[in-house]
Amino acid sequence: MIWKDTAAFVESGVSILVGTRTAQLMPEAVRGCGASVLAGGEELLVFIPEATGAATIANIEDNGRIAVTFCRPFDHRSLQFKGKVVEVRRGTAADRAVVENYRCAFAQELAVVGVPGRISLRMATWPAYAVRLRVATAFDQTPGPGAGARYGAARDAGPGQVAPGSPGTAGAP
Amino acid sequence: MTPRLEDLGPCFQGVVPAMVATCALDGEPNITYLSQVYYVDPKHVALSRQFFNKTQRNVAENPYATVLLWDPVTFDMYRLLLRFDHSETDGPLFDTMSLRIEVIASHTGMAGIFKLVSADVYEVLSIESVDGFLTPPDPALDALPPPSVDAVPISEVRGLQAISGRISRATHLEELLDVALLALDETFGFSHSMVLLPDDSGQRLVTVASRGYGEHGVGAEVTIGDGIIGTVAVRQRMVRVAGMDESLRYGRAIRHRAEESGQGCPAPEIPLPGLCDAQAHLALPLCVGRRLVGVLGVESRDPLCFDEWDEAYLQIIGNQIALGIDRMQAFDDADDSPSLSRPPQRREASPVRTRRSFVYYRNDDCVFMDGEYLVRNIPGKILWRVLVQHERTGQSEFTNRELRLDPTLGLPAVKDNLESRLILLRRRLEEKCPDVRLVPVRRGRFALELGCDVALTEKDSAGA
Repeated sequence: MIWKDTAAFVESGVSILVGTRTAQLMPEAVRGCGASVLAGGEELLVFIPEATGAATIANIEDNGRIAVTFCRPFDHRSLQFKGKVVEVRRGTAADRAVVENYRCAFAQELAVVGVPGRISLRMATWPAYAVRLRVATAFDQTPGPGAGARYGAARDAGPGQVAPGSPGTAGAP
Repeated sequence: MTPRLEDLGPCFQGVVPAMVATCALDGEPNITYLSQVYYVDPKHVALSRQFFNKTQRNVAENPYATVLLWDPVTFDMYRLLLRFDHSETDGPLFDTMSLRIEVIASHTGMAGIFKLVSADVYEVLSIESVDGFLTPPDPALDALPPPSVDAVPISEVRGLQAISGRISRATHLEELLDVALLALDETFGFSHSMVLLPDDSGQRLVTVASRGYGEHGVGAEVTIGDGIIGTVAVRQRMVRVAGMDESLRYGRAIRHRAEESGQGCPAPEIPLPGLCDAQAHLALPLCVGRRLVGVLGVESRDPLCFDEWDEAYLQIIGNQIALGIDRMQAFDDADDSPSLSRPPQRREASPVRTRRSFVYYRNDDCVFMDGEYLVRNIPGKILWRVLVQHERTGQSEFTNRELRLDPTLGLPAVKDNLESRLILLRRRLEEKCPDVRLVPVRRGRFALELGCDVALTEKDSAGA
């Protein structure tokens, strides 16, 4: 379950890392280029550039296991979602608007930490694969003593509640 | 062409964090950022482990990891396939990685909480450039020139020769430090630098020479153990930190987590001495034998300003400066030396002399001038002694020897650092009270020159 406050973070211009693995359990990493929260927080749609994502897509088609980490460069606030991919398709024209918004928002995040737009805006983002996954678990990955703890465990009482805040996310949207 | 690990130097400076993917034996992948990837040799890298986490649990079961490295200069991306080899919890590799972590921890008030648990060494199985990560350069985006990282001067031996010559010709400590910092700037472009020496207490380092900070660098204090400079003093090892912004952000993220989890952060965050927007720091201990005689710090706004070459080069210069400091402190007492290091600069008395009011507070050996803090501790006591003596007897020339023999100054019997204290005092006067000058007349002897009238008051404490 991705909660409303978390969804805003996921859909902002934060850094997206996608982890998968081969049938032989060899890990693979690639940068994502946009994300949307779907199905009331039960699912996540992640975009992966075709230019760099071939191995990742092959892994997903093999076994569907995926981990996606979202990290804000400025303060390292990080969340990781894990689950199983339920659909892979090529991005549509509607998806392209999401990816393009992400590209600009991410460039702004990176500008804050000193990466110039002439570089960040050159990262290949389109065409992209759209990968839809069902979220099974979420982890707070913000570096520190609690890194890797299950995220939002205290909220599992039921959906629809307004979360009073969560470990490591004070002040986050 | 397959890239070579040894050619990916800028990727290992921590300017842009790396990413690591691993996989548990049950098939669940994990992906996260890494605080430090360290180049070990052409076949191995080491990843820093500060906390026990999923990445370590995974490699314990399944030793493979994929790391994405981002070149902070070209912004090309590289994919490294790694196999976990072993962990190191002591030794040179651990110490080097640990020192960098300690520095960041110390700067963010996290000393003891954010620390290296182990240096995990991985064999590099393959390296590939991630083709297509960047689209071709866009002329519209590319209007700005790329950052230049050229940097190794062509004639470094000539540069070393020049600096070495200037250092060895210096006749007193102040000149030695000034020419060394000037030469580092002129010859190699290290334009923001400072030398700090231990103070009386052994608890702090005091800046006695600086270049590139205007007049405000001298007198700045660093507690031994705090920040980059203070950590270098304790560990007596060089440290180079690039991408300071990135590293401090990482440290602060951990600080926030620790505060929230109730582990506490007793130490306040320490502001960096020097450039407020420094991106790279290099600090090295100045040692003679195992004895620390000072710390040389160099800063830059360019996160990639310093590399291995700078480390090696500054180490050589640092050794020369350290020996020079030791030599000056050993021989500055030679009153009979004929060498006149700087002729007294007697100014014509101005027709209207100002009047300066000096107050000495006995409880903390502190001197204020016209209500403003001037100097304290042994430099404060020296100033007071000189001013009082001058008022009582008219004496205007003083020797290091008589200061050493004066029990009220409390100078230690050996290695008293008198010369460095005189430099600090002289610099503080130049900055805050140029009407009062202590001018070296020959080695071990200086003259008091007054361009103003002085009024002296002694008090027990500020409240007295």
